[in-house]
Amino acid sequence: MNPAFLKKVKRNDRLARWVITIGGMAIIFSVIFILILIARVSLPLFLSPEKALRADFQLEQAQAQQVATLGVDEYLETGYLVDRTGRFDFFTVADGSPLDSVAPAGEDTQRRLLTVDSYGRLNHALIWDDGSISIVQVKFFPFFDAQNNNQRSIRHRVEVLGEFPAPESGMPVRSLARSDGEERQVRVDLFADGHLQATLQQREESFLGDVEVTEETHTLSRKSAGAVTALTMSHNGNQLYIATDAGEIERWDLSDSEDPVLLEVVHAFADQRKITALDLVFGDVSLIVGDARGELTTWFPVRDEEGVWKLTRIHQLPGHNAAIDYVSPTLHDKSVLSRADGRVQISHMTSERLLLTIDPPGEKIATYALSTRGNGLITLSESGRVDSWELDIPHPEISAKTLFGKVWYEGYAEPSWSWQSSSGTDDYEPKLSLTPLIFGTLKGTFYAMLFALPLAIFGAIYTSQFARPRFKGIIKPAVEVMAAIPTVIIGFLAALWLAPLIERSLGSLFLSMILVPAALMISIALWQAARKIDPLKRVERGFEFLAVAPVLVMAVAIASVLGSGVESWLFAGDLKQWLFTETGNRYDQRNCIIIAFAMGFAVIPIIFTIAEDSLSNVPPSLRAASLALGASRWQTVWRVILPSASPGIFAGTMIGFGRAVGETMIVLMATGNTAIMDLSIFNGMRPLSANIAVEIPEAPVDGSLYRTLFLSAVILFVMTFVVNTIAEVVRQRLRAKYGRF
Amino acid sequence: MAKLEIENPIVQVNNLKFYYPGNARALHGIDIAFPEKQVTALIGPSGCGKSTLLRCFNRMNDLIDGCRVEGDVIIDGENIYNRNTDIIELRRKVGMVFQKSNPFPKSIYENVIYGLRIAGEKDRSLLDERVETSLKGAALWDEVKERLHESALGLSGGQMQRLCIARAIAVNPKVILMDEPCSALDPKSTARVEDLIGELREDFTIIIVTHNMQQAARVSDNTAFLFEGNLIEYGLTDQLFVKPRNKQTEDYITGRFG
Repeated sequence: MNPAFLKKVKRNDRLARWVITIGGMAIIFSVIFILILIARVSLPLFLSPEKALRADFQLEQAQAQQVATLGVDEYLETGYLVDRTGRFDFFTVADGSPLDSVAPAGEDTQRRLLTVDSYGRLNHALIWDDGSISIVQVKFFPFFDAQNNNQRSIRHRVEVLGEFPAPESGMPVRSLARSDGEERQVRVDLFADGHLQATLQQREESFLGDVEVTEETHTLSRKSAGAVTALTMSHNGNQLYIATDAGEIERWDLSDSEDPVLLEVVHAFADQRKITALDLVFGDVSLIVGDARGELTTWFPVRDEEGVWKLTRIHQLPGHNAAIDYVSPTLHDKSVLSRADGRVQISHMTSERLLLTIDPPGEKIATYALSTRGNGLITLSESGRVDSWELDIPHPEISAKTLFGKVWYEGYAEPSWSWQSSSGTDDYEPKLSLTPLIFGTLKGTFYAMLFALPLAIFGAIYTSQFARPRFKGIIKPAVEVMAAIPTVIIGFLAALWLAPLIERSLGSLFLSMILVPAALMISIALWQAARKIDPLKRVERGFEFLAVAPVLVMAVAIASVLGSGVESWLFAGDLKQWLFTETGNRYDQRNCIIIAFAMGFAVIPIIFTIAEDSLSNVPPSLRAASLALGASRWQTVWRVILPSASPGIFAGTMIGFGRAVGETMIVLMATGNTAIMDLSIFNGMRPLSANIAVEIPEAPVDGSLYRTLFLSAVILFVMTFVVNTIAEVVRQRLRAKYGRF
Repeated sequence: MAKLEIENPIVQVNNLKFYYPGNARALHGIDIAFPEKQVTALIGPSGCGKSTLLRCFNRMNDLIDGCRVEGDVIIDGENIYNRNTDIIELRRKVGMVFQKSNPFPKSIYENVIYGLRIAGEKDRSLLDERVETSLKGAALWDEVKERLHESALGLSGGQMQRLCIARAIAVNPKVILMDEPCSALDPKSTARVEDLIGELREDFTIIIVTHNMQQAARVSDNTAFLFEGNLIEYGLTDQLFVKPRNKQTEDYITGRFG
């Protein structure tokens, strides 16, 4: 050979090898790269929250002792201290330099503050030592100075929402008050002899502008035995909770101004421990209970078997080593702050995670205030030091347990796996359990494979082993064209045509499931007999289906005619109703029968093609060997062809499985997308893939939902990866066993 | 045409014509008879129809779509091209060994008893016994008795071919058809299979197609020479090779064409 030519051949060979290697590696790397990209978005779900001390300054000892409470704006720029005279001293958080001072309740040098009961968004009930109460609210708002280059500053205002005079019956030992700022304000007083009094003010404005204030005072007769140690009230003043030193909790309904009702007395703890702190979680449904043993629990009313609402212990949050003396909610999620022995813990109710511990070394926190957005915390320690902390708690509600385990959500009757990512209200808690989605994926795949696998494999066996080559030449491309149908069209047809059709003729469907196989059996038996007659003998083998097809069509026709008759005869006229009353299965229009047909339709071509190829590729010599030994066609298929083709059939099945797991459009359109955990074939499901498609356009970027959706994408990726890997391993094993082919 | 007078032939072929799809005639009316418990070799150049003829004896040609057979093949007193012929029964009576060894991807044991299994034989002791006798009959027993349950695909080429012979004789056929059984084997394995054919003659009627005239001379009692779909000469092997009566036969065996 010409040496120049030889050189060229060698060079091309080298070049081809490089191109192929680079291409293959590029595919592997891009798959890994995609996985890393997806995983990177979901990873922050599992990062620990962080805190950073942003600024601190020291108050003078005298001033520090005068501080009743404190607060901070949501931008962590302006803070304020409330001193015992009821004066609000604003200061810059960064350096502690004082700003202005306001005394919203008047400059009365006589009365002093006993306590401040803070609730909601910077609302404070100032409880004076003469028994009167002022409810004030601090408002911060950004201001852009038009004169001064639009420079932003945070301005503030203190508003009085309501006032209560001192109670006539004497001086209370403990009080709390709520006002909605417009119509209703409530105060509850505990007196030294242990009785409680509720004062409910209703302010009504007629349309002429006349204001009429009605006030009702009620003595609340307690049923609990212990001394009252903690009180809390909902934001609107409708629910009152009272806890005692004997571990009891009383639940009162104050919504009717004329008739406060004691709903129940709960013996919360068997060991009758002292309850030391109470508050309500954001949303005013769950009660936070801190006790003398340092345990932190949350409770909410659950309806029992008799339909009575009973306050039930739901979550146990990470506790403290000392008695909890104060608890408070956050204002945007279901997190809880608790203080014991001068340290503050932030934990999340639903995930039961301990998020952060604020424990400045050598200091004991006397008072703290969380910013409205939960991103900042300002603490005053006993030594007079004011610390402002920047908090970063991006995904407090996410834990392995909330993602995969059963969680008892607020307002639910029992723990459940639940996916419900959004709702209309602000205090709604997203429920992000991936378990029903994984279940949905597997359920849809299971029913689709149940339908597709036998059809595809038996179809492949028939086409490759029994049918005439001419027939095979038509059927194989036809099935392969099926694979080219966009799944959105399949899903569309399934949802809008097939689903109503099957719903209308469910009786016929089930009847044809009996009639078609029966008709098939009978026609095969008849055919065998008829074949002995002379003219039929000449019908070529492989064309038997021509004789059987009309019989099947007839069976389906008969079933569709008789369907409704059978329904009224056996199932009282309505099979769906009968299913529900007799078996408890609810029939949804979009259900797994539809999915089996539609998704089966989508995966059949893949399984069929691969199985058919591998069956056809079994060496003819094996077939000949088997036939030459006196085996029938079916025996040859069953004992020789199928085992030899099993690696290919298995690979086809697994690729079909992977396709069904990842299939999106069909399930999106035809499943109903209800995230339920029910294996019944008569209802739908919500698979991972459809869930991502439905929710990602509406998920706020970098929010918990967004990252959880990416996590579900990782799970989907891993699922298909595992399935394909197992498939490949098994295929290699089968190949080692069955073939040199 | 040369005739060999045979009494009580086990296979009797009368005026057999075979058409491949498209009416291409491959056999032009063959008349031949095969004596029982002897080895008959079919020789001839490529495309002469010897394999086609062989495959007519167990109706393996049925697998070819659109082929057609005329004439009679009477095996064991029965015309196998009758409509009532049970092909399965026929193939149990007429075993076959192929050019390329084709053991199933199963264990050695399962390979040997395949024919019995598909006939529904379940008696374990009978199966065990038949495996042993068949493998001994195929001169393979000593080599594989320790690994009967290992895959047959682990055997050497010659062993595989002997396994295929064991598989064929396990169902106790009357006739064994061999389609160039040694063409893919090395000389040593070929020698073993040839020895084996000599031993099998005691119990079975063997019809062997071969390209190799030395082999035909070595193993067969009778030899038939086919050329272009016609039986040219048929006689005792010793006579045919030493003193062919036909010019074409002489040309072929002396290597003037082939």
